[in-house]
Amino acid sequence: MILYLSTIILLVVISPLLLSFITQIKMFITFKKPISIFQGYRNFSKLMSKETIISEETSAVTRVAPFLILSPLLTVLFLLPPIVKGAYYVSFVDAFTITGLISLSTFFLMLLGLDSASSFGGMGSSREAFISALVEPAMILTVFSVSMMAGNLGIGQAGVNLASSFPQKHMASFLFSAISFFILLIAENGRIPVDNPQTHLEVTMIHEAMILDITGVYLAIVEMASSIKFIIFASLFASLFMPFGLQFSVPIALMIFIAKLLIICIAIALLEVSTAKLRLFKVPNLLGISIVFAFLSLITFYVLGA
Amino acid sequence: MDNFLIGLFLATLIISIFTARLYRLIFWYFVNSLMLGLLAVFIGIKVHDNALIVSGAITLVLKALIIPYVLKYLSKKFHLQRQITPNIKVHYSVILIPAILVFTFFIAEPISHMLQANPNDISISISSLFLTLILMMEHNHVAPKIIGFLTLDNALFLLGITATNGMPMLVELGVFFDILMAIVIINLLFKDTGVKA
Amino acid sequence: MIIFFLLLPAILMFIVSFVKTDKIANLLPFVSFTIIIPNIMLFKLPYPYHLMGNYLIVDKLGDYVFLVSSVVSIGVSLALMTLHKHVNIKKRAYNRFYRFFALFWLGLILSTLSNNMGIYWVGLEFATLSTVYMIKINYTSTAHKEAWNYMIVDTIAISIILFGIILIYASAKPLLGDNAMNFNALLAHIKEIKMPFLFEIGFAITTVGMFIKLGMFPMNLWLADIERASFYPVPALFSGILESAVMIGFFRFSKIVMQIDFTQLFGFVFIYSFLTIFIVAFLIYRAKDFIRLFSFSGIEHMALIALFWVSGGTFAALLHFGAHAFLKPSLFLSTGVLESKGKYHMAGALRGYKGIKGKIFWFIVGLFLLAIVSVPPSPMFFSEIYGFGAMINMAKHTHHMLAMIAAIAFLLILLSIIFYRFTAIYQSMKYGGTQEEKKVYSSEIIALIILAVSLALLLLPQSMEYLRSIS
Repeated sequence: MILYLSTIILLVVISPLLLSFITQIKMFITFKKPISIFQGYRNFSKLMSKETIISEETSAVTRVAPFLILSPLLTVLFLLPPIVKGAYYVSFVDAFTITGLISLSTFFLMLLGLDSASSFGGMGSSREAFISALVEPAMILTVFSVSMMAGNLGIGQAGVNLASSFPQKHMASFLFSAISFFILLIAENGRIPVDNPQTHLEVTMIHEAMILDITGVYLAIVEMASSIKFIIFASLFASLFMPFGLQFSVPIALMIFIAKLLIICIAIALLEVSTAKLRLFKVPNLLGISIVFAFLSLITFYVLGA
Repeated sequence: MDNFLIGLFLATLIISIFTARLYRLIFWYFVNSLMLGLLAVFIGIKVHDNALIVSGAITLVLKALIIPYVLKYLSKKFHLQRQITPNIKVHYSVILIPAILVFTFFIAEPISHMLQANPNDISISISSLFLTLILMMEHNHVAPKIIGFLTLDNALFLLGITATNGMPMLVELGVFFDILMAIVIINLLFKDTGVKA
Repeated sequence: MIIFFLLLPAILMFIVSFVKTDKIANLLPFVSFTIIIPNIMLFKLPYPYHLMGNYLIVDKLGDYVFLVSSVVSIGVSLALMTLHKHVNIKKRAYNRFYRFFALFWLGLILSTLSNNMGIYWVGLEFATLSTVYMIKINYTSTAHKEAWNYMIVDTIAISIILFGIILIYASAKPLLGDNAMNFNALLAHIKEIKMPFLFEIGFAITTVGMFIKLGMFPMNLWLADIERASFYPVPALFSGILESAVMIGFFRFSKIVMQIDFTQLFGFVFIYSFLTIFIVAFLIYRAKDFIRLFSFSGIEHMALIALFWVSGGTFAALLHFGAHAFLKPSLFLSTGVLESKGKYHMAGALRGYKGIKGKIFWFIVGLFLLAIVSVPPSPMFFSEIYGFGAMINMAKHTHHMLAMIAAIAFLLILLSIIFYRFTAIYQSMKYGGTQEEKKVYSSEIIALIILAVSLALLLLPQSMEYLRSIS
């Protein structure tokens, strides 16, 4: 239980680090002087000490929504597969719960964007709804497929099963789910082929557009929520698709886990540097590939098993 | 390992159905042939069949290196159109492709029971055949149709590897030679679009 | 030794086609006469004779088809001598044509005489790919588009055939090992296969591929389009030689399947041929120029040949096949002259010939036009009688006699639509229209005479005995 709680606290503490690490690698590759890796914490403390101003046209939703954005994600943190051996994990949670909670968070983010009655917010919310509608079925199918391959529908138990006995004969289905989940990782967290996290131009904003009108504590909470969402996805990818290193002792397992997260960050950074942002109407192409691969992995699993 | 390579084979095929640029399509064809060649070499090493190793090596050299290079050279020389948007829109092909996958897996099930091979591999080979026909159908220009024909040959080679551990050597050599001749004919066909009748 | 003589004409043609003189058009047909030498050698061999290990075999069926193809190719290359007098073509085009003709001949040898399914496929693909470029000798944009069309359709059809061949090989491999590619081995051991269903699936897929190449029902318009877009010797090559290569494959494959599951084979091919003849009969009725008319008629005859073969009338099928392979190319070659005043001038096409050559020309062409719709002394008449007789014979042993009689009656109605159209065309050619002067050249006359003589030789009792002995 102690390990369980401490890994959750570790994940919460590390999350701003990962996003700054991605930015750092991008700046390093494009020959700029990289920002410090603790920039995320500095942003957080800066925002916490700023005065919180809300616009006049908003309703009570704006006061409540940031907390509702953060809390489902914090709940999901409790349901992830364990990263060290001997930690407690919840084993009855399956793909629907996790996807549902993440979608709940996205729903409140969309409400927040709509609430300020500005055109930017409405535009951001509608785009986010558009992308979300394509991401959800793929996510459910992918996580289901992996948990079927691991033999148990619960995510936590699936992670443990995969670490102990990797199913060699289902390698093809595994590969398809991995490709699909990686595309989902990019889409849900608003990274470059789908959404530019550093832009403030109207034509290219999705996530930024929804949070344009808040500042101070609310903005700090929403930024924290987006970094926690990223670490949820990265941790799921690391535990389900790179399931090695669970059997070592606690410090080494932690180091391996953090190394896996950093590798995922490096992969995302390389992808961001080498690709241009897709037009919004081309995003369904990319997400269509993700849906097809998720479906394909489930089907190839059934052909072999049934 | 061979499951992994067959998975990548099908993955690159599905990605090349969605892609809308000619050079990207040639790149995915290159990855496709690379996976196929590596698969042939691995299975050949596993069952100690020299013919399969030689076919795999020829596939790697011919289909993964020479043909993509020749295709790119031809597309530069004849100024082929590089933007090839599929005719089937994305939201329809997202439904169509899984439907075809389910359909072909359903058809291939009795066949895979009758052959002593991994049922996954047979089903993937037969669905690659149908998906390649979709690739040929959905473009109006001739260059993706050529790449579709070459991918069809790849899918047939995969079926030959998985269903029967490689066809006899002479037949494989004949197939490769035919592909070479097809590329020569394609080169000749691209020249001179002719005067108006 | 024999292999050398088999390959000699092709190699000679290929080498000579690189010679750049102005008399090239007259030189090349004489090179192609060397095709006679392997034919004579093949006839003297004891049957069945294995060449090159187990890969090539010379048996009666292969030898017959090879002889027919050789005669057709000699005729076509003779008629080619005067191609430049009918259409607008450069001398260089001859060289290119003969280069690809040499490759085509090579592929044909491989596919006609092969014992191995894979070698058959390789030869077929060679032959197909070399004819693609022959369409482009006609330097128009229509020909360019049609050449691409042909390439796409044919490569898909060939790939479907390869798919079927792989499935057949996979089904026979546990029993026969590497020998499973041989037609002979399959024919001998087919009853011992544990999973005949896979074999039948493979055969069905191969048959679909082969029927696409022949131009049968669902895809029957591409053949007419490409034959219209190319010069007249090319459709002659298609209908005489390429279709015979495909047909011999169908013959060999179906002989093997007949031993496993006859009813399924018969039902499959019957429905296919029936639908084809139905559609093609009406297409012939509406054809307005010669080449389309003849290509649709070719499709209909191929469907009849397939139908006769699977009902057990092998003699009828082979006789029909030989007669068609002599008649259709000669008709195509004569369209060079018939259309010399314009594509759609069907009326009066048989009038206006002067001199001995003209008289021989219109006499032979008129006879052939009637012979192709099975007017009596033509071998097609006899083959259709024997063919329908074989179908009724087969139905006698089952309970479907009445259905078979009804089907044959319907087929005869469709054939009579074709008969009506052809005689109407013949009459308008002979008695209608205006008299326009057309020139005929001696090389074409000689080609037509060669084909006519071969057709007459088909009617001799000795040749009929030979055909009957091909089981």
